Amino acid sequence: MVGVKLVNVTKKFKDVVAVDHVTLEIKHGEFFTLLGPSGCGKTTTLRLIAGLEYPDEGRIYFDGQDVTDLPPYKRNTGMVFQNYALWPHMTVFDNIAYGLKVRRLPKDEIRKKVYEVLDLIKLKGLERRYPTQLSGGQQQRVALARALVIEPQVLLLDEPLSNLDAKLREEMRFEIKELQRKLKITTIYVTHDQAEAMVLADRIAVMNRGRIIQVGSPDEIYSSPTNEFVAQFIGITTLIEGKVRDLTDEGVALVESEDGLLIRARAINVTKGERVKVSVRPEHVIMSRTPLSGENVFKGEVEKVAYLGNITEYRVKLGKWILRVQNTGSRLFKEGEKVYLKLDPFNIVAVKLCEY
Amino acid sequence: MKLAKNFNEGIRRLRRELDRLTVTQLVITIMVITIFLILPIFSILYKAFIYHGSPSLIYFRELLDNPLMFKYPPSLDIAVFVERYKFKVLSNGTRVLIPLKTLYIGGRGPDFGYVFNSLFVSSVVTLTASVLGLIAAFIMARYDFPGKGIFRVLLIIPLLATPFVNAYVIGKVLGPGGLLNFVLRDLLHLTDYTVVIVGLPAVILVQTLSYFPIVYLNVLASLINVDPTMEEQAENVGAHGLRLFRTITLPLIKPGLASGATLVFIFSLEDLGAPIGLSGAFGDGLHNRLMSFYVYDEFKKALTLEQVHASAYVISVIMLLIASIAFLSIKKYVSLRQYAMLSKGGRWRFRIRKLGIKGTLLAYCFLAPLVMVAALPQIGVLVLSLTDWATSGVFPTKLTVEWLSSLVTKADVTSAIKNSLTYSSLAILIIITVGTSAAYIAARRDIPGRDLIDLLVTIPIAIPGIIVAVGYLVLFGTVFSNSLMDPFINPGLLLIFSYSVRRLPFTTRTVFAGLQQTHVSLEEAALNLGASRARTFFTITIPLIAANIIGGALLSFVYAMSEVSTSLILGSRNPAQGPITFLMSQVIYASAAVGTVSIAAALGVLLMGLQVTAITLSNYILKQRVAFLGV
Repeated sequence: MVGVKLVNVTKKFKDVVAVDHVTLEIKHGEFFTLLGPSGCGKTTTLRLIAGLEYPDEGRIYFDGQDVTDLPPYKRNTGMVFQNYALWPHMTVFDNIAYGLKVRRLPKDEIRKKVYEVLDLIKLKGLERRYPTQLSGGQQQRVALARALVIEPQVLLLDEPLSNLDAKLREEMRFEIKELQRKLKITTIYVTHDQAEAMVLADRIAVMNRGRIIQVGSPDEIYSSPTNEFVAQFIGITTLIEGKVRDLTDEGVALVESEDGLLIRARAINVTKGERVKVSVRPEHVIMSRTPLSGENVFKGEVEKVAYLGNITEYRVKLGKWILRVQNTGSRLFKEGEKVYLKLDPFNIVAVKLCEY
Repeated sequence: MKLAKNFNEGIRRLRRELDRLTVTQLVITIMVITIFLILPIFSILYKAFIYHGSPSLIYFRELLDNPLMFKYPPSLDIAVFVERYKFKVLSNGTRVLIPLKTLYIGGRGPDFGYVFNSLFVSSVVTLTASVLGLIAAFIMARYDFPGKGIFRVLLIIPLLATPFVNAYVIGKVLGPGGLLNFVLRDLLHLTDYTVVIVGLPAVILVQTLSYFPIVYLNVLASLINVDPTMEEQAENVGAHGLRLFRTITLPLIKPGLASGATLVFIFSLEDLGAPIGLSGAFGDGLHNRLMSFYVYDEFKKALTLEQVHASAYVISVIMLLIASIAFLSIKKYVSLRQYAMLSKGGRWRFRIRKLGIKGTLLAYCFLAPLVMVAALPQIGVLVLSLTDWATSGVFPTKLTVEWLSSLVTKADVTSAIKNSLTYSSLAILIIITVGTSAAYIAARRDIPGRDLIDLLVTIPIAIPGIIVAVGYLVLFGTVFSNSLMDPFINPGLLLIFSYSVRRLPFTTRTVFAGLQQTHVSLEEAALNLGASRARTFFTITIPLIAANIIGGALLSFVYAMSEVSTSLILGSRNPAQGPITFLMSQVIYASAAVGTVSIAAALGVLLMGLQVTAITLSNYILKQRVAFLGV
């Protein structure tokens, strides 16, 4: 098990910059997630760590050792591919045993290890099957077993759950998390699914356009996004653009929106006079028919109502903005209803605009 | 500074990419292609352009002045009516004068001299084959009518290579005592002239019939792969009929049409089967006044290299030049890789219209005569091999197994079969090694010159076999004189290599297609688990593309068995080492005198059997229908 460090790593494909000066440090035994929209460079970053691509610039270290020019077969990483990449001409047993055979382990030790890992991923009894005879979930487990059995220094997972159906995906999340805790293996997990990242990761790196936008714990990423991209990419939010009129010592900004609303919000790295966006998440809005007291109270009008079962979602017109608001359970407000809205000034945040 | 950095980066990348496996594969591919394709071609250039040790165009000037090469003015008497009278003794003893009227087509013309004869024939054949192939493909791709399945099979029968014998059959059918005249003159009394088609028109006829399926298959594949929504969108905005075809469909199938037409052009240019086969049927004539035959004949006559006239090299260079121009002129339409293999599996099934009675009749009117005439040579070969047709006149009179049994009983026939099998099998080993290596480099490795490798292993399909053969004679006949590699002593060994190079594209393209269909992550997973590139190649890659390797190798094998040009020219240096096609040419060329053409027909049946088996097997293994191209 090692720590992984990327220093200033850049990878171009022809003229497209897939990974743009990425610097990262992943700690021993950490569950680290690369999160971002498709094409943001997260998979390429993972492949650079595996040695399947080589960077144009920058270095990659495993525990201080420079592995930048090492071929993939000398890096001892265990990778699970998005399409599993199980060899169709080999049985489950042979698929899993491959890495051990390459390492020239004695036969009975290979058997022992393969059965151990089959036990670990709950697939005993299927070792004589061929990959095509397995369900998607089982294939996924075999791919995981094949990567784990060689006891890699780093486990690399490239959207391993994206080909499973929604229910199975949620189950597998917990299984992978549990497995990783048990084995205490450094894990780098690539996903575009923010819920997956939140459930699994010790830390998340949010990527966009080849760059790391923010690195932090799931909680930090959710509650204190550093810019509008992170704010809107994670969870549901409404962004209100405006200018910082005032900034208190406690870090509360008074933002005047483009249409003249004065909103107090927790400031994140913003300065007085800066153009910002206020990120308002549904759970930070109180909606009422009767007038509300305190700061950040506005009048709005319910435009649309969507009943989702466990919650009801509203689109509420506030000035020129459409605010997304929720309440648990059945619908409490009707379309067209005039309401009072209170935005929690300690939870809604004023963040930087994206540079692009 | 930046340059130096880029350079260092390039070196670093190269060192990463050039592992042991890649280096081995590169060396094997480059060596085989260099020694057995590039150097022989260069040695021809040397012979043609070097006069007494210095560069010169003197041989070209000599050629220009040779009236046989460039005939001016050309003879254009296409049709010649000849009337002769002959006394016939009637039963009562009186002698009457009977008029013998003959219409000779192509006997005296057209004749432009060797060079332009070849160009003329190839151009006309390309045009006619393209038109026939295009119409046939359009009907088959877009319409549904009863009996379509039968036509589908019949339309590719002409591709079954029965070198020489097919031309002989056409000659026999069209000849003075042939089926055509029997029907027109004796049965229907439509004319009292005996019609004889020889010379260039006969060559054009034979080649059009054997090559139009190449265009047909290429265009069919393109038509099937045209997304129907493209045509539907055009119809939606009001285009239909000919306008739709001209503005939407034709541009979309241009790559298929262009590659098919070019292959036909090159195959026609290098063809020896038609001139030799027609000479077998009619004796020498204008039908062998072609560049390919000239080169073949020059080398056949010469006992040593010194006796070969320099004009043979010059003609070779001209042929190579013409083939290269034809090839390069369509490169912008088609990437080379589409040549040797075309998947016929279309994803779209709609846009097939059911024809009404009128339409069906129209389709029949075009297709029925086409397939009847086009499949005639193959049927004729079968008849020749099973009956006494070779000597019996218009119709065969009795069945016999004599000819087919000679395949196992006659010593020179069995030895030719054994030779062919030996050369082709050994060639296949080389083809698999080189083809798989080259395809792997082209599909998977990121090294400079990768595209060049890809080109070099595909281009043999465009290089006339005659050029390869002549190149071998020059290069190995001088450099390796009196050694195992001397073509004048041991042509068999060189035939293995000529087959390897000439039939390489079939395997390379099939393997390349297999690699493209195999996700690269399967190999990356092995690398990730610690397997070296070589180990990954042998334990993961090869098993995954085994079907493609076997399928491609089968195609290469049958086309090696029926290879003509190098078999003839190299085989003639030592008849004991001659392969099947060499023996066939010998038998046919002499058959006007000896009448043993039936043995060649039996060999033709053997070749057809092999081709049908291999193609069926290959289609079964690859689980898709593959358009195959031969000759």
